[in-house]
Amino acid sequence: MEIFNNLATGFAVALTPINLLYCFLGSFIGTTIGVLPGLGPPATIALLLPVTYGIPAASAVILLAGIFYGAMYGGSTTSILLNIPGEAASVVTCLDGYQMARQGRAGVALAISALGSFIAGTLSIVGLMLLAPPLAAFALKFGPPENFALLVLGLMMVGYLAGASMSKGLIMACVGLLLGTVGLDPIMGSQRFTYGIFKLSDGFEFILVAMGLFGIGEVLVNVEQTIKAEIFQTRVRGLLPSREEWRAAAAPIARGSLLGFFIGVLPGGGAIISSFISYALEKKLSRRPERFGKGAVEGVAAPEAANNSAATGSFIPLLTLGIPGNASIAMIFAALLIHGVRPGPLLITEKPEVFWGLIASMYLGNLMLLVLNLPLIGLWVKLLRIRYALLAPLILVFVLIGAYSVNNSIFDVGITVAFGLFGYLMRKFDFEPAPLVLAMILGPQLEASLRRSLIYSRGDLGVFFERPIAATLLALALLMLLSPLFRWVLGRKLSQTVGPVSGPGVAEDRSDVASK
Amino acid sequence: MVGRDVAVAAMVLGFGATAAYESTKLPFGTAHNPGPGFFPWWTSVVLDLLGLVLLVQALTSHSTITREGRSRVTKVALLLVVLGAYTFLLDALGYPLCAFLLVLFMLRATYPQRWAVALGMAAITAVGSYLIFAIWLGVPLPRGLLFG
Repeated sequence: MEIFNNLATGFAVALTPINLLYCFLGSFIGTTIGVLPGLGPPATIALLLPVTYGIPAASAVILLAGIFYGAMYGGSTTSILLNIPGEAASVVTCLDGYQMARQGRAGVALAISALGSFIAGTLSIVGLMLLAPPLAAFALKFGPPENFALLVLGLMMVGYLAGASMSKGLIMACVGLLLGTVGLDPIMGSQRFTYGIFKLSDGFEFILVAMGLFGIGEVLVNVEQTIKAEIFQTRVRGLLPSREEWRAAAAPIARGSLLGFFIGVLPGGGAIISSFISYALEKKLSRRPERFGKGAVEGVAAPEAANNSAATGSFIPLLTLGIPGNASIAMIFAALLIHGVRPGPLLITEKPEVFWGLIASMYLGNLMLLVLNLPLIGLWVKLLRIRYALLAPLILVFVLIGAYSVNNSIFDVGITVAFGLFGYLMRKFDFEPAPLVLAMILGPQLEASLRRSLIYSRGDLGVFFERPIAATLLALALLMLLSPLFRWVLGRKLSQTVGPVSGPGVAEDRSDVASK
Repeated sequence: MVGRDVAVAAMVLGFGATAAYESTKLPFGTAHNPGPGFFPWWTSVVLDLLGLVLLVQALTSHSTITREGRSRVTKVALLLVVLGAYTFLLDALGYPLCAFLLVLFMLRATYPQRWAVALGMAAITAVGSYLIFAIWLGVPLPRGLLFG
């Protein structure tokens, strides 16, 4: 019964008029940027971070979370109507969604994707609500060695899962850790790598780095790769799927929700991978797999359910362990820190209004998104006519003002532009920005837990291997590190016995996503 | 594209080595009581190891990614120069003029539009954003010579 009391507390927070407004704004902005190709959730959340400084923590997180899961709804619209994914997580939806549109079933595809998203979104919030409190209670037992092991595993997973190349992912994580060391030493409080620049004494301001990498970096990348958009000339009609289409979509939605949720919980797992895996799973389970890619309802239902479910699932490591699993969640982490709320095992007990308020707002937000995305679909189709050429200058102007407004400082604008250049180069050379921002934000914690563990054990590294939880977590991290080696050895053996083989779909699919 | 990947690996190695060298200037401490230099040094070492892995991968791969057209890279470079200029001139010229010139540049050079569209958008963006942020939200954006 306690859970109902908590949920009631949550709804009391989420149903206040101002928070309802923030929830609606988040869902609305999320759908908008989901529909607009070339502007992703991390960039948008980074842009809006300064705006959230002045509002309470619960409201800030309600707004930013709404943008994140709202984008999952909006992203499918462009996939279906334009064959261009509005978000990376909607790449697979293009395969069957666009074919459905060409067959005159655009309305059905949009409806299945919105309803699938809604069902998955709602189911996964139930999962979040049930799973988070016990996990947080378990994590309360963690001392510095366990925290260190957990952070290492988290960073390893993000490096492993976030992009096509593990070595590049881990390189970005190390660069992020080093950037995180600029400023005050977390144990002794002395200055590091500031070179006499007073502005750096608190380190690189996370929000400037994020706005540069995601805001300016993305605009620069888009300047290089022109976005071509041609709206599929069709009237969106017949929104309600037939009974048969419903029957075909029901099981894939259920499976997509479940799969997406568990993949979403893994740091670095997230929406993109879950959509690919659930598509592959449905194709494998289907009695007529040849229909996939030619307008199969299942091919829209499953990945759209999975990406929504994963978006919700990725809040679990943030709210229980204090580990943001992807770039958007890292922004939300930063927003909470700015408000003096540290995400982690203590969050649920110390700030119940933030945790339960967020959960309740997610139920409401999903409902709002369903209304925004089904009856109002015509509005979003009109939005597709906005040319990126006119949008790009607005994004830049907004980033530059945002950077200035953090401390009313031109130096900060310079830092942001510099990180914009860095973000552009990273993407150009196929490095993912996500591991860098996560490592930067977790770096001080990782360093503090490492040094505290060593002080506590008097320099004995055994402390990480004698304690069962720490040892298990580190063993998992090691396994992950060695997995490319296993795959390589296995591949060689296979090719010796049965001739050349191509790897399983997921790894290849991911490289497509990374290039987006 | 092997050459490009080798160059990236070399940059990673260079960055790692510099970071390691800079870390040695900080007190390293001991294993029982690690100092401020301990963590950055070890991170730099790991970074260089990963850089070596990348180098080996670059030398042994047969990737065939085609390069983007040169004209578009030039557009990015020009835009970066303009962003740099924006930063340096923001104080002297003031926000409204800088924003106007930035948007005008983007709509003529980066994404070419007709003069009327470019001038109109630049004016609306500069004035509109100034009204919203400086007047309404109270961000003390530099006003510069024109509006000082």
